[in-house]
Amino acid sequence: MIAPKEITLTIDGKACRGTQGQTILQVAGANGVEIPTLCWLKHLSPWGGCRVCIVEIQGSPKVVPSCSTPAMDGSAIITNSPRLQGLRRLTVELLFSERNHFCPMCPMNKGDCDLQQQGYKFGIDSIRYPYLYPSLPLDLSGKYLGLDHNRCILCTRCVRTCDEVEGVHTLDIGNRGVKNQIVVDLNVTFGMSTTCTSCGACVTACPTGALFDKAAAFHGPLVKCRQTRTTCSECPVGCGLVVYTKDDRIVDVFGDAESPVNRGHLCRRGRYDTWAEPRPRIRQPMVRRDGKLVPTSWGDATRTIRTLISASNDWQNAMLISPRVTNETIRALHGIGVRFDRIGAFVADKEAGICTSPEFSTDALVRLQDADAIVLVGAEPSRNQGVIAAKIRTAVRRRGARLVILHSRRSDLDTYADISVPVVSLERKFWKQVGDVLGSAKRPVLIYGPAAMSAVGVTILDRLIKTLSSAGNGGEMLAPIQLPTSTNSLALAAAGVEPVEDVSTWLAVQPLSFLHIVASDEPDGGARLLKEPHVRPLLEQIDNIVVQASYESELTQLARVVLPAAIWCEKSGTTTNFEGRTLPLQAALPPTGEAREDKAILEMVFA
Amino acid sequence: MSDKPKIKVATAWLGGCSGCHMSFLDLDERLLDLAKLVEFTSSPITDVKAIPEVDVGIVEGAVCNDENEHVLRTMRSRCKVLVALGDCALTGNIPALRNREKLADVLERAYVESESTQAGEVPGAPVVPKLQTKVRPIQEFVKVDAHIPGCPPDADAIWYAVTELLAGRQPEWTPTNMRYD
Repeated sequence: MIAPKEITLTIDGKACRGTQGQTILQVAGANGVEIPTLCWLKHLSPWGGCRVCIVEIQGSPKVVPSCSTPAMDGSAIITNSPRLQGLRRLTVELLFSERNHFCPMCPMNKGDCDLQQQGYKFGIDSIRYPYLYPSLPLDLSGKYLGLDHNRCILCTRCVRTCDEVEGVHTLDIGNRGVKNQIVVDLNVTFGMSTTCTSCGACVTACPTGALFDKAAAFHGPLVKCRQTRTTCSECPVGCGLVVYTKDDRIVDVFGDAESPVNRGHLCRRGRYDTWAEPRPRIRQPMVRRDGKLVPTSWGDATRTIRTLISASNDWQNAMLISPRVTNETIRALHGIGVRFDRIGAFVADKEAGICTSPEFSTDALVRLQDADAIVLVGAEPSRNQGVIAAKIRTAVRRRGARLVILHSRRSDLDTYADISVPVVSLERKFWKQVGDVLGSAKRPVLIYGPAAMSAVGVTILDRLIKTLSSAGNGGEMLAPIQLPTSTNSLALAAAGVEPVEDVSTWLAVQPLSFLHIVASDEPDGGARLLKEPHVRPLLEQIDNIVVQASYESELTQLARVVLPAAIWCEKSGTTTNFEGRTLPLQAALPPTGEAREDKAILEMVFA
Repeated sequence: MSDKPKIKVATAWLGGCSGCHMSFLDLDERLLDLAKLVEFTSSPITDVKAIPEVDVGIVEGAVCNDENEHVLRTMRSRCKVLVALGDCALTGNIPALRNREKLADVLERAYVESESTQAGEVPGAPVVPKLQTKVRPIQEFVKVDAHIPGCPPDADAIWYAVTELLAGRQPEWTPTNMRYD
């Protein structure tokens, strides 16, 4: 590799250094010269559409957009002159006149709108052009997103984000000239879209109120909200979140651009599922009296549990714990373990196989970012780890990476794959194809999930590792990346907590008289336990069940005592992602009602 | 007391909610200072309707109907400096929301279909000013000399603009003193 040539130029009379290939805007930014922008976003390819970032190059009569013009060695750039100021103001005035930008009735009013800020910056107190007042539609058919064409300036930040970050290219520009408009798929509504993943990245990118979060609209300006950085609890990827809160409630949730894991990107689950869905919370401790659950105090609930547990033998006591708990809660289990015959983690379907041999792939995301071939075995990132799916799509679509999928269920990723087959016994023809597709791969990545842990799956996995190791450089054995489904299952497994996949067998080992279920903030309140065959009758046989959960569910109906647990945005501590990174959780809100964090509850009740 | 002749000011209220005039009254005790320098002639506040020859004309609201246009043109012809007060005068703002619909549909919705109406009909009497097809900001009709953005502009913004104009300067809007909402 030849190091890029260094160049020097002057910007507004200041001597600046850069490298060949950098744009004028990049060199200016690196040297502390600010140029106003509108359609430009750091992590997207430049578009050069808004013309707000125009600059003059000395000796040239033209003005050029600095975001998409390469900086030239020895050139002299002017970023601010009366001519440029006049042209920028004119450009923004035309944007205002083109559609229906009425600030007082926009959800991004009072600080969240880049267009409004530019208007203020350029001192635009009136528009010198006739307003067009077009009659444009508003699309509220999406579950979480709203699209108001009246406020769109066609900067294509959403189009580029959808294409370059989420990799689905749901959004694009349709029609011609003044009729240009953002279109969803082949001009359908958001609700009808078959490709939109509801990742919400377009809303994050939108500079105006054209794309907005329905649940956050008109709940006040985000710039006035308190921001808390925490980690998403929905899957083991561990994306960084910024939670916007006001008056002790969530206004919106965005990806944390500073997070090395997701760099600001999120999937539907992290962005919306956790807060934009109504879920009935358990607000205070409850004890069953005369067959009915009645609210009570923490003191009474604790005493009741202690009486129940001391009346039963240690070998008849068990605990089932959700893999959504924090590392601190897992550590607290050590102290209270003596009270229980066994403690099991109720992990996701088929996940026990992975959890019995937890492996942290420390550089998984870096390798994925750079991979030229990706092999997925029995993992379902599209459903479970959306940000990984986005990275796979963009690797294929933007970098031309090869993709081989051995799936247990079909997903949208199959469309991007060179080969996509079910995880079953495979013929020689398949292996020949795999050899052809992956033969030239230099930086292959193999990701396997729970469904790879079948007898056939493991054989295939072994053979794939061998194939890829010989294909990759140096002949080194390829380290496969383990991708579990549950949030903190690997940390639980690493701490020696038994992963329980078949709950009915686990319950039936020995008749229990006391079962403490830590469902934590499982979205269904832990009710997925009951969906497994034979579990309900087994639970009904247990006299004393304590359910420690955040959300009401059928499970609470079986409980003798119910304890209210804090949810993701009320928790502090750490969680471990699939790479083994320890990531911080920071409470954005005080617990609802009398809810407490799992760790505090366990220590209080069993100490 | 100075014996300098007072500057004559007229204000008009076109298609708008009168919030800008309310905001003007929000000048509170500063109104007393202002009264020493200017004389209010016709205005919704003084309830004088005929616009005399004035130095400064201040107009709130967009042009929605023929009467609005008539008042605006009269004001322009009788004042030396015309000031557009608030977003409706500047952008059309909320009255302009109806621009996306056909005028006949708008009238039908307001006078016949609205939930509180029983056996309503679209008024057709010649004394009722005729609505124009589109609501438009005032600078699309006449020359405007100064702008005060805001919905409504707050009293500080109005005070800033008025004092600048009285001092013979054009108000200069910056991110710290202007708002569109």
